[in-house]
Amino acid sequence: MSKQNKFTVSHAPFWHDGDSIKVMNLNIMAAALPATLFGIFQFGTAALGVICLSIASAMAWEALFNLASKRPINIHDYNAAVIGMMFGMMAPATIPWWAVITGTFISVIVGQQIFGGIGGNPFNPAVIGISILILSWKNIFDFDAALLNYRFDFTSLAPLAALKHQGTEVVELFPIASLAMGNQLGSIGSVFGVGIIIGGLYLIIRGYIRWEISLAYILGIIITAWIFNITDPSKYANPIFHIFTGYTLLGAFFLANESSSSPVNLIPMFIYGTIGGFLTILIRNIGSYPDGTLYAILFINLLNPLIDKIRPKAFGKGCEKCVK
Amino acid sequence: MIKRSFIGLTAPKLKCDMVEPDPKDPEAIPIPPRMILLLNEPLDSIRESLIKQGDRVQKGERIFLYKDSQSYVTSPVSGAITAIAPITGNYGVDATYLVLETNTKQDVEQSFAELAATPNIENADRYLRGIPGDPPLKQLADPENRFNRIVITGVDDDLMCTTRQYVLARFADKIDRAVALLKQITGINDISIAMTETMAKLPVFNGMNLVRVASDYISSLPPMIMAKHLGIPFVPGKDLDVCFIPVEAAMSLVRAYEEKQSVYDKVITIIDKTGKRTRVTATIGTPIHRIFTRIGVETAEQDRIIIGGPLRGIAAYTLYHPVMPDMDTLIVQASGESPMASDYPCINCGKCVKICPSKVPVNLLVRYLEAGLYQEAADSCDLLSCIDCGLCSYVCTAKIPIFQYIRLGKHELMKMESEIQTEAQNV
Repeated sequence: MSKQNKFTVSHAPFWHDGDSIKVMNLNIMAAALPATLFGIFQFGTAALGVICLSIASAMAWEALFNLASKRPINIHDYNAAVIGMMFGMMAPATIPWWAVITGTFISVIVGQQIFGGIGGNPFNPAVIGISILILSWKNIFDFDAALLNYRFDFTSLAPLAALKHQGTEVVELFPIASLAMGNQLGSIGSVFGVGIIIGGLYLIIRGYIRWEISLAYILGIIITAWIFNITDPSKYANPIFHIFTGYTLLGAFFLANESSSSPVNLIPMFIYGTIGGFLTILIRNIGSYPDGTLYAILFINLLNPLIDKIRPKAFGKGCEKCVK
Repeated sequence: MIKRSFIGLTAPKLKCDMVEPDPKDPEAIPIPPRMILLLNEPLDSIRESLIKQGDRVQKGERIFLYKDSQSYVTSPVSGAITAIAPITGNYGVDATYLVLETNTKQDVEQSFAELAATPNIENADRYLRGIPGDPPLKQLADPENRFNRIVITGVDDDLMCTTRQYVLARFADKIDRAVALLKQITGINDISIAMTETMAKLPVFNGMNLVRVASDYISSLPPMIMAKHLGIPFVPGKDLDVCFIPVEAAMSLVRAYEEKQSVYDKVITIIDKTGKRTRVTATIGTPIHRIFTRIGVETAEQDRIIIGGPLRGIAAYTLYHPVMPDMDTLIVQASGESPMASDYPCINCGKCVKICPSKVPVNLLVRYLEAGLYQEAADSCDLLSCIDCGLCSYVCTAKIPIFQYIRLGKHELMKMESEIQTEAQNV
């Protein structure tokens, strides 16, 4: 027999839609850009430094862990970069460098790598990192104190902290349009509500996040805050104020959607999002923390495996009517 | 290859290709000097086989490997056996291949001709297994079969494939004969014909029992036709109650009984790297490189030769692969186009769950399968509800070979079950 070509042999299918983890992560980072760029514009080069350091250190931690655990270095999929970017967006511009490096260590190594790396994390890694930092050095995340040296031409108060300490009269200090355009104190990536919504809508349209979670989360916020608000308007702020303050929008479009810690079935996604929104407002209104987004997200991450068990009957299983 | 669209709000919808409106007659590939025949039986060096190198066979002669062999292959030509060797197929199935040197003089074995006047399932099963289209005659002849319905499928069960549609369009005027013949030999009166909606509008099919299949990809798969059109619930892990016969198989049966001899020319659609389609008829057993040379399809190192469609086909590793009775489509795919599987874990993005027509929790299933927990996968993650469409692998962001895991899982489960049954019989 004559000389033969060697052909590639593999299992079907021989087509792929061309998507990859790298493309997905690049899209998430691109979607986070409007909010991040605004934060850099608002808080200056310090913010740029924080974002760069957190992305770089997150990638470095992953590479180091891969080396230590003798696994191929996978930082080119930008998974760690996304974690670093989310971390940076949730940090104030004045966060010290060591806190960034510690925080990304907690996010990447404790939050993800020890669970087996990408896809194995039960919680959103960036949220784990920030939460532990808040518990350990809460002064860093006291936005009023942290951003004391900045001069702004708007009310220089962190809205949720002001609400907690001074009551609902402060709500009038923050016109909604102004809040949405980023005129508030907060972390680098969370102040520019319109930018986060644009990024979130982009990801939804591209199909990189599950819109059901974002919608349910926001609905959960609105409904719960509205119920509080109508029972005692003098004590509880209105729902729209809650939407555009703190980490709410970041949570709805970037944090609660982190794929491996969120459900994939339709009904669970709605339950997951709604509980997230509900708990956020519950912690804000009744709890002792000004913002409850991060803890609410960690809590729904914990619920995820349980509620994701609610799923449709598979083809041919169960009653005859179930077969479409 | 259809790539992801910019807007990814909903799961992608893949459309099957339609046969061209006025198809040309296929080019006939001449009978090559050397043919390759496959026998679905392992070669056992200890046993004495009925055939040996140098044996002469006649056209239409059935070749059995051993005295008690159940399976046979019908020789499409007269010639001499020049080699007998073992071969391992997909999933480690052991088979045997024969190389046949074609004679210039063709003698036809006559034993079927005498029986052809009285068509029945016994003589069909005895002589016509492995005719083009590969009719499930063995299953139909089994007295314990559960079939109460037959569907002649004129729709292709993968993207890009159009062979069955072509055969249906080409022999539309003879389809009533196929229905009558199948009724006669099987005794099953409930026979319908599955075809695309456009074809169902043709006047020639008026008054027939038609199943109009939509043009989206999974609608043409047998379990879907059953559940959607025939109203028969699909029971995971059980054999189908409906016998699906490709239209080419039905037409081959008609031709075999009319011509009083077995038939061997298989219609194949060939799609080259540029996407150009050529339709040929080739004798079963022709090595595919003969077809490629004849119609000028070039292959290069590291290309992929796909037998069947892009989502459910199999990749051939050699151009000496023979034309098989069920080989409807041959696709040559350039090396750069082929997606590479990765060893990433599932990132739980949920695209597979969204696209799965069987509502299988693929994200959980793949975790069980990766760990080799096949029984658990069937029990708690609906492995057996899968209808083998391959869409989960097509959309997988992490590029996990999910479809391969699923088929492996099903294969291992079947093996386990048959082992349990044999043990039970031995006790």
